[in-house]
Amino acid sequence: MLTFLLRTGWKKLWTLFFISVISFAVIHLAPGEPSQIDPMNPRFTPQQLERYRKAFDLDQPLHVQYVRFYRKLLSGELRSFKDNHPVMPKIVERIWNSLPLFAVGTLLMWCFAFPLGVASAIRRNSVFDQVTTVIVFALISVPGFYLSYLLIIFVVQNFHVDVIGLRTFGRPDTPGVLTLMDRTWHLVLPSALGATAGIAVISRYVRSQMLEVITADYVRTARAKGLEEDTVLYKHALRNALLPFVTMLGLLIPGLVGGSVIFETIFAWPGLGRLGYEAILSRDYPIVITLNFIAAVLTLVGTLLSDLLYMVVDPRIRLEGGEV
Amino acid sequence: MGRHTARETRPRDATVSPARLAWRSFLRNRTAVAGMLACTLFFVLALCGLVLTKGDHPILDPRQVRLVDKFRPPLSLPTPRAVAPEALPRLGIYPLGTDELGRDVFARMLEGAFVSLSVGFVAVGIAVIIGIALGGIAGYYGRARLGFGTVRLMTVDTLITGLIDVALSFPSFFLILTVVAILRPSIWNIMVVIGLTSWEGTARFVRAEILALREQDFIQAAHALGVPGPRVIVRHLIPNAVAPVLVSATLGIAGAILTESGLSFLGFGVPPPDATWGNILSDGKNFLFDASWLTIIPGTAILVVVLAFNLFGEGLREAFNPRLRQL
Repeated sequence: MLTFLLRTGWKKLWTLFFISVISFAVIHLAPGEPSQIDPMNPRFTPQQLERYRKAFDLDQPLHVQYVRFYRKLLSGELRSFKDNHPVMPKIVERIWNSLPLFAVGTLLMWCFAFPLGVASAIRRNSVFDQVTTVIVFALISVPGFYLSYLLIIFVVQNFHVDVIGLRTFGRPDTPGVLTLMDRTWHLVLPSALGATAGIAVISRYVRSQMLEVITADYVRTARAKGLEEDTVLYKHALRNALLPFVTMLGLLIPGLVGGSVIFETIFAWPGLGRLGYEAILSRDYPIVITLNFIAAVLTLVGTLLSDLLYMVVDPRIRLEGGEV
Repeated sequence: MGRHTARETRPRDATVSPARLAWRSFLRNRTAVAGMLACTLFFVLALCGLVLTKGDHPILDPRQVRLVDKFRPPLSLPTPRAVAPEALPRLGIYPLGTDELGRDVFARMLEGAFVSLSVGFVAVGIAVIIGIALGGIAGYYGRARLGFGTVRLMTVDTLITGLIDVALSFPSFFLILTVVAILRPSIWNIMVVIGLTSWEGTARFVRAEILALREQDFIQAAHALGVPGPRVIVRHLIPNAVAPVLVSATLGIAGAILTESGLSFLGFGVPPPDATWGNILSDGKNFLFDASWLTIIPGTAILVVVLAFNLFGEGLREAFNPRLRQL
C-alpha cells in the first residue's frame, strides 16, 4: 500500500511538472515574442507591454521565467492584468459561485443516469431501450448552447420567469426564504443543462457495463442456483457493474473548471468558466494560465482519488497494487 | 452426397472472419445502420456543397449579398426587379430562407457542410495519426529503456503513458479556447488544435490492443521470420488493432463538429467568410426572435449529423466487442 502510494505520488509529481511547463508555454505559442501579441491593436499601449514583460519576466532566459512565474503564482503575487488584483482571491471567489452549480449538476447526473442505464440494459432491444438510446444520443449530439437557447425561450415564454444570472435582476437581496427560493430556481436550468451531456454519457456507460456483467459466468451461476431474477440483477449483477463508477467520483472534479464555460456564459453565471472566458477575451494571461493549471491539478487529484477509491472497493486491484 | 455437403458447409462456417461477424452483427442494429446511412448522405451532401459553392462563379453562391432580400423565411421567392438579375438565386427560390445580409441560407449550409466535415476529418486524422504512432510505440517498444549512456531513466512505456496522463489532465475545451485565442482563430488552427488535444483515447486503445496482440503466435511467427519491428507494427499489429481506432475516430468526428460549434458560439470559431454550421448557428442566434430559421436550421443539422456519427460509432463499438455483440 505504502509503496503504491509513493510510486503513484512520484508519477503524479512528474505529471504535475510537465503540466506546469505546458501551462506556462502556452503564452509563448503566439508567433514572435509574446509581448508583441497584438501589435495592430491600438489599445495595446507601451504600458501594457511593460506590464506583460514584468509579469512574465520576458527579459530573462526561459527557465528563469518559468521558475519566477510559478513562484509568483504560489506566493499569491500574481496579479490580473485587468484590475491588478491578485489572481488567487479572484479565482477562489468564483469557485464559490461555481460550486452549487457543479454540485446540483452532479447530483442530477447520478440520479438520472443510473436508473436509465440499468433499465435500458435489462430491457435490451425493447422499444424502451431503443427510444432511450436515440434520446440519449440526441442529448450527446446537440450543441449545448442551441439546446439552452431553445429551453430558455420555452421557459420564459411559457412561465414568464427570469432564468439568467445568479438571482432575479433588481430583486432586493434580503435574507429570507424568498431569496433562497429565487436563488434555487436560478440554479435549475443551468445545472440541468450542464448535466444533460453527463447524464447521457454516463447512462450509456452504465448500460454497456451492465450488459457486460449480465453475460458473465457468475450471473449465470446465480440464475442456475434458482435465485429470483431481481436478486440476480440487483444484487449480483448491478453491484459489479457499478464498480467502475466509483472511480468517476474522482474524475468529476475537474469539470468544475472546464465543463462550464459555455453554460456559464449563456446564463451569465459568475463562475470559474466565465471568469476564464472573460480572461481570454481581455487577454488576461495570468488568470488564463492559472486556471488551466488549477484545472490540470484538479484532474491529477481526481485521478489519484479514483485510484485510491478503486483499491478500497475492488479487492482484486490491491493484489496488483505494487505494479500500477 | 450428404457427407459431401456437410463437409462443404462446415469449413465455410468455421472460417467466417471476425470482421465479417462484426459486420453481420452491425447490420442487425437498426439505429446504427440508420446512423451509417445518414453519415453517407452527409458525405454526399458535403461533396455536392464543394462542387456547387466553390470557385469564382459557383452555381449556388453562398456569398452573394442581397440587402433587399434579407431575413426572408424559407421557401420565399426573391423580390423581382429589386435584386439584380445576376444576383438572383439560381434556384429561383430561397429553399431555406436568407440571413441578415440576404445571403442564401441553403447555399451557406451546403458550403458549411463541407467545411464542417473537413474540420471533423482533419482534426480526427491528426488525432488518429498521433494516437496510433504513440500507442503503437508504447505497446511494441514499451519495455525498451531510455536514458543517457548507462543511466537508464525510464521505459518508453512510462514516458508515453506519462504523456497521455499529462494530455488527459488538461480541460480540453478550455485549453483549445486558450490556444485558439492566442493563435488567432483560423480554420487550420482550429483543426490542428482540436486534433492535438484529442489523441489520448486512440493512443490508449491502440496501446492496450497491441500489448494483447504482441504475445500472440502470429507475431512470434513474424519475429521468427526476421521481420523488422516497424514492419511488424505497421503490417501485422495495427491492422489487427484497427477496430477501436475506427470507433474512436467516428465518435471523434462527432466531437470535433460539436467543439467547432462551441468555439463559434464563444466567438473563436472558423472566421468568416468561410461558413461552417457552427458559425451559421452562432450568428443566427442573434436573430432568434425575428428569424428563428437561422437558428433552427443549422442547429438541427448539427444535431442530426453528430447524432448520425455517434450512432454509427456506437454501433461499430458494439459490433466489434464480442461481449456486447447482439446474438
